[in-house]
Amino acid sequence: MKARIQVVACRSCTELPELLDMDTLMDIDPGRELVVSSILVDRLCDSKEIKRVVGEARDWEVDRVMVLACQKKDVNPALLAAYKKAGINEFMIEYVDLRDEVVLPHLSDKNAAQAKAEAKASAGLERLLMMEPLEKAVESMRTRNVVVLGGGASGRKAAEIAAAQGAHTIVIEKSARSFKAPGVIMTNSSLLGAKGYGGNFVLTIRAGEKVEELQCAALVVATGGGWTDLKGPLAKACKSAVPLYKLHEQVQGGAQPKGPIIIADTPDPGGKNLAIQDFAWDETLELAIDLKKRQPAEDVYVVFQEMRAFGLSELAYKDAADLGVRFVRYDRSAGPKIDSKDPGKLTVKDLAQGEVISIPIGTLAFAAIPANKDNEGVASVLRIPMSPEGGVRRGSIQRWPVSTPRPGIFVCGSAMFPKSKDMAEAEGETAGLMAGRFAMSGSIEYGGMVAEVTQEKCSACLTCVRTCPYDAPYIGTAGKAEIRTQACQGCGMCVGICPSKAIELKGFTDEQIAQETRTMLGGDF
Amino acid sequence: MTNEVLVIGGGPAGLTAAKTLADRGANVVLVERSESLGGMARELTCKGLVECRDCGACFAIDRAGEVLKEPSVEVLLLSEIVSVSKADDRYEAKVKVSPRYVTGDCTGCGKCVDVCPVEGKAIHPPKGTGQPRTYWIDRKKCLHFKKAGCNLCAEACPAKAVNFDDRATNVTRKPSSIVYATGIEPVDACEVTRLGCGTVKDVVSSVDAERMLNEKGKLTRPSDGASPKKIAVMQCVGSRSVKNGVDYCSKFCCKYATKISQLILDTDPEVNLDFYFMDLRTLYEPQDEFKRWAKDKKTVRLIRSMPAAVQQGKDGKVVVRVSTETDSEIQENEYDMVLLSVGMRPSGAATPLAGSLGITVDERGFARSSAELTGKGVHVVGAVSEPMDIEEAAVKTASATARVIVTKEGAK
Repeated sequence: MKARIQVVACRSCTELPELLDMDTLMDIDPGRELVVSSILVDRLCDSKEIKRVVGEARDWEVDRVMVLACQKKDVNPALLAAYKKAGINEFMIEYVDLRDEVVLPHLSDKNAAQAKAEAKASAGLERLLMMEPLEKAVESMRTRNVVVLGGGASGRKAAEIAAAQGAHTIVIEKSARSFKAPGVIMTNSSLLGAKGYGGNFVLTIRAGEKVEELQCAALVVATGGGWTDLKGPLAKACKSAVPLYKLHEQVQGGAQPKGPIIIADTPDPGGKNLAIQDFAWDETLELAIDLKKRQPAEDVYVVFQEMRAFGLSELAYKDAADLGVRFVRYDRSAGPKIDSKDPGKLTVKDLAQGEVISIPIGTLAFAAIPANKDNEGVASVLRIPMSPEGGVRRGSIQRWPVSTPRPGIFVCGSAMFPKSKDMAEAEGETAGLMAGRFAMSGSIEYGGMVAEVTQEKCSACLTCVRTCPYDAPYIGTAGKAEIRTQACQGCGMCVGICPSKAIELKGFTDEQIAQETRTMLGGDF
Repeated sequence: MTNEVLVIGGGPAGLTAAKTLADRGANVVLVERSESLGGMARELTCKGLVECRDCGACFAIDRAGEVLKEPSVEVLLLSEIVSVSKADDRYEAKVKVSPRYVTGDCTGCGKCVDVCPVEGKAIHPPKGTGQPRTYWIDRKKCLHFKKAGCNLCAEACPAKAVNFDDRATNVTRKPSSIVYATGIEPVDACEVTRLGCGTVKDVVSSVDAERMLNEKGKLTRPSDGASPKKIAVMQCVGSRSVKNGVDYCSKFCCKYATKISQLILDTDPEVNLDFYFMDLRTLYEPQDEFKRWAKDKKTVRLIRSMPAAVQQGKDGKVVVRVSTETDSEIQENEYDMVLLSVGMRPSGAATPLAGSLGITVDERGFARSSAELTGKGVHVVGAVSEPMDIEEAAVKTASATARVIVTKEGAK
């Protein structure tokens, strides 16, 4: 059947100067009289215009559409919905972005803008001719389970809120400690493996001595932050040094630490042994103030590179200074040292005073917070990215601050980066809300623009299996790669990397891209 | 109507609240004082020219677009809450909606602005990237409402979107809970008199720089329109200072200023940039990250010192007088342009409206929330309660509104 094309051009009123000759643009036709309907509108965002355009498409029995408009993002949803209603496949619509790609880069050159617009429009038409309708399908979620990894502050809040949405929550905690959370709590447990995709995950959990399989719709990573590791020259030279939280516990328990009390940022000022995410500055200031109040006669030093007293913590910084806590700022190149021959003293160049000072060590504690060591295992099992410092990385903030690149997996709290308790809890609640809603939606939509393997070409080298960020390719019963369509997000990474060129992305096949490029360059190349 | 929630403020926090509540099935009335949604984020620029820098500026604008499409959210722009009173188990909110004089037919072509004879124009596009993109008329300036009876914009409008018959309306809604998210206002850089704000032309605040980058994609000198090749960025202008009452750290300025600096270098790699700061407090990133970036760029210097004075120099240069890090000498450095990173103050916390809702204010002007207040269905969210960036505002608001739903008693 011959293609029946509709060309819709929008004058894009908004913000665009009258740079383009729209009438010429509208006349572009591959010369085969395939364009059966062409409309120029003032404002495609307008529902009246959408109605008119789609009505015409229906009258002319159009099967594919090219839209020349301002921004994909702005036009897309309403128009797409209307076309869908009119029976036009959503993958048979080609957008040419006249604003960001044509007009804005060529504001000063009318001819260049027009030439680019024409090239893009004819390339778009060529691509359109090669398009095939793609279908989407719906799969039900088998459970309403939301699994929360970690029973700390943020994990408990995530479970609480997810449960309030109606989800069934399972909290997996690696330690044996007891805590309250809705749903099932599995202590002494950890995540060993994960199969599947958002909506229908199958997790392998080690629960005590046993290994169990667990189905879930969504997952919240709340593994928390790391504890100060005493790795580094300062900890090595001073055997009595403790992490900050230990000193805090001792003081809470009524102990009177011996002065002078030094709270240093890290046991590894050169940064060679310990990858640090952040420092417990709020806790440092709080403890320094507390110590100065309890033992006013003792000297309290805070030795640091950067005083990150965010927001209202600044007030605690000032209070501590007013109480007589001495702040010593140093530079990484001249960090604090403890001489192994004289381990009772810490020498450091105080940059504010410009002189080297020597402090006798009564008590020494470190505020450094490295990343949680469990992150690496969890991230590799779940195939979510990590930051260079070892935190679990969230996806783009454009979506939600607690989302990961994988649908159905959310992350919160200090697993990402050390957070204050209230922020960690707030993130937990937000992640719980998102995960709960995801699980309660009951089904996922999949398909459309997804990868497809030509099995004859596949040599089962596993490159795609290793590359995919979504765990979509697997080696099937035929010994060849197959794509789990439900998991595929259409990113195209496997397509690009396949050494046998055995994978293509539907809607973006090599042939389609080549034809589009060829047209844009004005003939063969 | 059941489950009705009143959201006061259309910035990042208010928009997050409206969106999450609507998703949960609540009916939301969003009241915004200005002409468009987006709050402070409207005038922030995306800092990801090459790759996303996670600044969060798009977060609020995208939510604004979603909220406007959401059928269960009623958006009242140019609106002010006249009173809120307790009526039975609900509140009764009276809202005055000022006329916009431009209908939704506006295509944003800008022809009306071209013909408007008023100095400084009486018809305006929405601020920055604010949503919706419908223009509005400032009645106080417009000649139509004066003796002149001017009609030029209405005649010039191809979409016939100007409607001088628009009238103020009074709207009454009965929400069962209220989300208070009036946000912040930036500190005026000119409050700090020694840094040349208002006296030296090429000294701009970070707010102006963001606006410039957002609109034009690059920085230009206000004095002659040239592209600056040597730029100074100064942190903590009007923050961490007892003089003007902002003795706290505004939390987000280091994050944004470092990202703006990176954006400036992305746009023009030949720029020499000096970054003056007291402490480098970049949120959610290791303390060394920006330092490492600066070290890689040979043209960037990080200087830990607070400049003492900024003055007009010769040949259009700006002279910055500053003592070196070790206080050993005083230098005078010349720049083409100086950016002052301003801090924030809470906005709309100490108002009669807040008072009538039972919201108390601390000595720095931040609105205080309490369990008792939350129990009454009043939720204080966003940067009006403490300094926070867009990401924190979004997360804390989503979590607070998650609690609105959890109690399920109507929507309390």
